[in-house]
Amino acid sequence: MHILRELSRRKLRTSLTITGITIGIWALVVFSSLANQINGLVGMGSEYFADKIVVTDGMAFGTSPMRLDEVEIISGLEGVGAVQPKVELLWDPDPAVGFGAPDLLVGTIPGADAGFETFELELATGRQLTPEDTGNLVVLGSTIARKYDVVAGGTVEIRGEAFQVVGTLQPTMTSPDTTGLIPLSTAQALYLGDLPPLVAESLSAEDLANQIVVFPEAGADHAQVAAAIEAAVENSATITGAEFTETVGATTVIFNAIIIGVAAISLIVGGLSVINTMAMSVAERTREIGIRRAIGGSRRRIVRELVAEAGVIGLLGGLIGLGLGAAVVVLVNEAGRASGTVLFDLTPQTALFAVGFSTILGMMAGVIPAWTAARLDPVSALRYE
Amino acid sequence: MNLIEATDLRKTYRLSRRTSIDALQGVDVSIAAGEMVAIMGPSGSGKSTLMHLLGLLHAPDTDDGPAPTLRINGVDATALSDGERTRIRARSMGFVFQSFNLVPTLTAEENVALAAEYAGTSGTAARVAARASLASVGLAERAGHRPMELSGGEQQRVAIARAFVNDPKLILGDEPTGNLDSARAVEVLGLLRRFNRERGQTVLIVTHDPDVGASCDRIIRMRDGRIIADERVREVRLVA
Repeated sequence: MHILRELSRRKLRTSLTITGITIGIWALVVFSSLANQINGLVGMGSEYFADKIVVTDGMAFGTSPMRLDEVEIISGLEGVGAVQPKVELLWDPDPAVGFGAPDLLVGTIPGADAGFETFELELATGRQLTPEDTGNLVVLGSTIARKYDVVAGGTVEIRGEAFQVVGTLQPTMTSPDTTGLIPLSTAQALYLGDLPPLVAESLSAEDLANQIVVFPEAGADHAQVAAAIEAAVENSATITGAEFTETVGATTVIFNAIIIGVAAISLIVGGLSVINTMAMSVAERTREIGIRRAIGGSRRRIVRELVAEAGVIGLLGGLIGLGLGAAVVVLVNEAGRASGTVLFDLTPQTALFAVGFSTILGMMAGVIPAWTAARLDPVSALRYE
Repeated sequence: MNLIEATDLRKTYRLSRRTSIDALQGVDVSIAAGEMVAIMGPSGSGKSTLMHLLGLLHAPDTDDGPAPTLRINGVDATALSDGERTRIRARSMGFVFQSFNLVPTLTAEENVALAAEYAGTSGTAARVAARASLASVGLAERAGHRPMELSGGEQQRVAIARAFVNDPKLILGDEPTGNLDSARAVEVLGLLRRFNRERGQTVLIVTHDPDVGASCDRIIRMRDGRIIADERVREVRLVA
């Protein structure tokens, strides 16, 4: 209570300092939440890729056709446990430009992973696809299901055709949320239609895939299996879990650098303004500090009181910054939810870190002025006007 | 028994590289427990410096002459650290200043409780002690007021309540009546005299005012950093 009373003596200066810290912490909260979301996606991706090798044509990532007979070749290689061909394509061939990944359609053979897949997709309604399913059937990711407000038994329109929804998935907070799972043959037909006519002419739909997911056997060296695949299949490129993590890890590094940058700026700006405020406050209270020292206030106690005051400035700035940052996170996420664009993930750790960081920052910035105050000679401090 | 025994107290204040003031030039003084003593002298005579040394706010110079001695209540105070001197100030001394020197943001009660807390009394007990001390100077009903809301006489009584809250052995007054009209000055002096008589507390007052000097047991007169006279005004009532 004494501390708040002391701070309220200097309302303007205190509130300006708190505002400075608020802005820094606001930025820290928003950027950290953004990074959390991205790191989360990358983490899920790493988890998804951890137990598999993804084989593509080597030109662009999964956009050019491969042939299904390559599945046979790969199946015969040493260390390969299961092979699952996939066709991955855009839900809407002309997606609107926006943040986040576009909605996808994925056609695959259910069960071809032979139990190797550890990345389980849980149902919210209806059923999964079976290998026997053909035609316009779809299992919807949670975000798409919400976007079209549909559950199992309903229908959605994909590329001008009506698809029967046989199931919807639980949210995963990652790409399956914005994916529609369809039978392989259906995807192959759509994929053929997307290809340039000159390319399409020489291909038949049932022969197509644009991704082959390979599950190595337990204990197999993924890098060796990948090398064997690249040697056996002409014009192929592989990406293993380790390579995925390494590649996308670069993105994470950039985002983490942004956070550190924001934290450093808020540290410098906020810290300097706390030092300034506390130094002014000490100068104004020279006489009072002299009184306290004369009547028996120890140096340690003077330091403690002033550091606590600076800490409260940091705490208030941190709490307000967190509040405003959380408001932005919630509002933007709500606005983006309809289109499936969740930009921010404000975790409890981020919130605690932001508030703890600003409090400790305030306290550290208060140490020098507090120490100056405690070193004052009580007699000359008492004469100070 | 003497509460204060000091010999060869010297203090030089360096104002700049070339100028310095020899504020005390070798002072021997002893103050008996239970005495009420005035230290008088013109400006620059060293009387405030003497009080700062005896109140452990400053330490005597140890170079250029015989080693000073300063024993307060039997404790050698020349070799104490800042922390130890601060602790003695908090527990065994009370200060009353000319310009009251209350903390402006704290109420009268909080100001008095602050001194009790510095002496090691916990929060609630410090409040209780503060209220009792304010009552003893007749300010119980003003406990919740800030210094700005009190008259000069009232502020000085709060300062006296603060000085006495820990029941210290030694009270040091630096011109405690200097900013008060004569009626208030008599009131403040009466309080100091009352605590001195009733509780046997030793009171040391630096003053210009001859009336203040006359109301003490003893007057130490100073000039140019030395004691020039030490007069007994009246016999000290011996305290057991």
